[in-house]
Amino acid sequence: MKAIRSLLPVLLAVSFTGPLTAAEKPEAAALAVLASSADLHEKARACQELGFYGGPAAVPALAALLNAEHLSDYARSGLEGIRDPAAGAALRKALATLEGPHLAGVVNSLGVRREKAAVPDLKKLALDGKRGVAAEALASLGMIGTADAAKTLQQVLASGSADLKNAAAHASLVAAEWLAKEGNAGAAGSLLEAVSRAVPTGPVAAAAKSQKDVLRARR
Amino acid sequence: MKTTRRHFLKATALTLGMPTIIPAAVLGKNGAVAPSNRIVLGGIGIGPRGREDLKAFLSQPDVQFVMDADVQETRREVVRVMVNRHYENQDCAKTREMAEVLGRPDIDAVLIATGDRWHAVASILAAKAGKDIYCEKPCSMTIRESQELADGVNRYGRVFQAGTQRRNVDNFRFAAGLARSGKLGKIHTVHAGILALQESHKWLPAEPEPAPDVVDWDRWLGPAPWRPFNKDYVNGRWRGYFDFHGGAALPEWGAHTIDLCQWAASADGTTPVEFEADGQTIHGRYANGVKLVMRLSGFKGEGNWVVPGTCPVRFEGDEGWVEAADTGKIAVSSPKLLETGTPATMAGTDPTKHVRDFLDCVKSRAKPAANVDVTRRGHIVSHAASIGWRLGRKVNFDPVTESFVNDAEANRMCSRARRAPWHA
Repeated sequence: MKAIRSLLPVLLAVSFTGPLTAAEKPEAAALAVLASSADLHEKARACQELGFYGGPAAVPALAALLNAEHLSDYARSGLEGIRDPAAGAALRKALATLEGPHLAGVVNSLGVRREKAAVPDLKKLALDGKRGVAAEALASLGMIGTADAAKTLQQVLASGSADLKNAAAHASLVAAEWLAKEGNAGAAGSLLEAVSRAVPTGPVAAAAKSQKDVLRARR
Repeated sequence: MKTTRRHFLKATALTLGMPTIIPAAVLGKNGAVAPSNRIVLGGIGIGPRGREDLKAFLSQPDVQFVMDADVQETRREVVRVMVNRHYENQDCAKTREMAEVLGRPDIDAVLIATGDRWHAVASILAAKAGKDIYCEKPCSMTIRESQELADGVNRYGRVFQAGTQRRNVDNFRFAAGLARSGKLGKIHTVHAGILALQESHKWLPAEPEPAPDVVDWDRWLGPAPWRPFNKDYVNGRWRGYFDFHGGAALPEWGAHTIDLCQWAASADGTTPVEFEADGQTIHGRYANGVKLVMRLSGFKGEGNWVVPGTCPVRFEGDEGWVEAADTGKIAVSSPKLLETGTPATMAGTDPTKHVRDFLDCVKSRAKPAANVDVTRRGHIVSHAASIGWRLGRKVNFDPVTESFVNDAEANRMCSRARRAPWHA
């Protein structure tokens, strides 16, 4: 495998410590790098490799780096790739302690993964201006796109600040697409109506109108 | 009613008690285009290739370029001087912040010519701001980003033209037209010239970061993962690095040549269903049996193509074949194929007709030749093929779900995390 070429020395060392399956080898090699005194570059590469080959065993090592300068985004690349629920749980847990761009990054990863279990946490962040990631939380709620997520978006559309209404409106367009795709055209239509009321002019309003027309045509 | 410049000038003149004598050029006479009918353009990340695009835009009388955003002071100043020299005024503004361009309500469209890492994110942000978009290629770093780009642009109903200008270059159009018209018989194989596949994970040695108003390294990186500054990256030598150049460099020319193969094979709405790499050649196969061969070409005649030039393509049917490349030339299996005339010679790198196509569509709201839907599929083919190459085995792909079939390993390579806070 070309992608693990840079980790081969470590891989060879690890493979002598006991029998490993083919799938475990790249993961073990990358985890060995993260546990070592390897430099920033090697650790960044190991995180990326874990996004391709890692499983639940890699989650704790990656989660430990979510607050690390320069490695946080690499750790997210690892966790975004691991489909096991443990990765989503680790990202949710990190929401309580992270700040600034590291927090914004994790919020985004939860949206990318469409972590439905994160909706309550994201709701809190969307409604709590002090954490500084309300717009990012709204965007992730849009990507998750469930009926629960839509409720928070509608709440902000109804009573948020102008900036947050705008962020919620853009997120609602994405959520409405998911709702319609997953058979909840009624909720999609309601959400789009809320967008039109909250942001009556501009690109987002035009997009909401267009989406409503498509929904009506499908009925 | 929208206030036009003509109405404004008349109203102002009346208010000030001035006679309403308005220069003909302002009203669009004598060949000039009235300001109210001009497309106001902004730029984002215009470097050497972007300036070729910009020249093509400036040559169009119905374009008014007003502002450039770039994270490098030298580049934004070069663009500002270039534009002001063209208009013989000092009106072009420059900024480090792309948000300033996207936030200007008078700007109708943007030319995006950053590095690949920014293309999709900047395009989506532009769409959200209600701008039409001409974006250099490759337009995405991953399969997922190709989907997000198309969904984002379509969501906001924007006109999008990828900088895959060969769809509007005469000899390539002629060649694709031969294939699509049936004059080559039933198409069975299409060939796309590609550069050598490569994927470097190296970091160049760290150098002191310049001041942000000289080179804003954080913004230069944007959604790409962090690494230490080195001037080579910002001087254009970022290609070949995994973090900056998606698809193992396959989309670099594949954005053009695979796109043309898709068009010639009447496959714009689909993708191959399998890919298998053999060294630096990747074999794809569409569901209808047509083969897509992605094979080496280069700057020095690599790959034994009949027609000289970069970005070659070859379309083969059971009754003939045609080849075209950037020299503007074509080769055909039989002179009979030229009975309808040969195309005028035109460099494959010339974006003029492509830019015109975009501007016409901005006005008509029609879809241009390299619209976001054909861009989505063409780029997905490049990325999927490169994943097969990276894995070193055959991969099966579903054109409907745009994912690999029963292949979790390959599907994990379809997206990348974006560095916070540079999300779209």
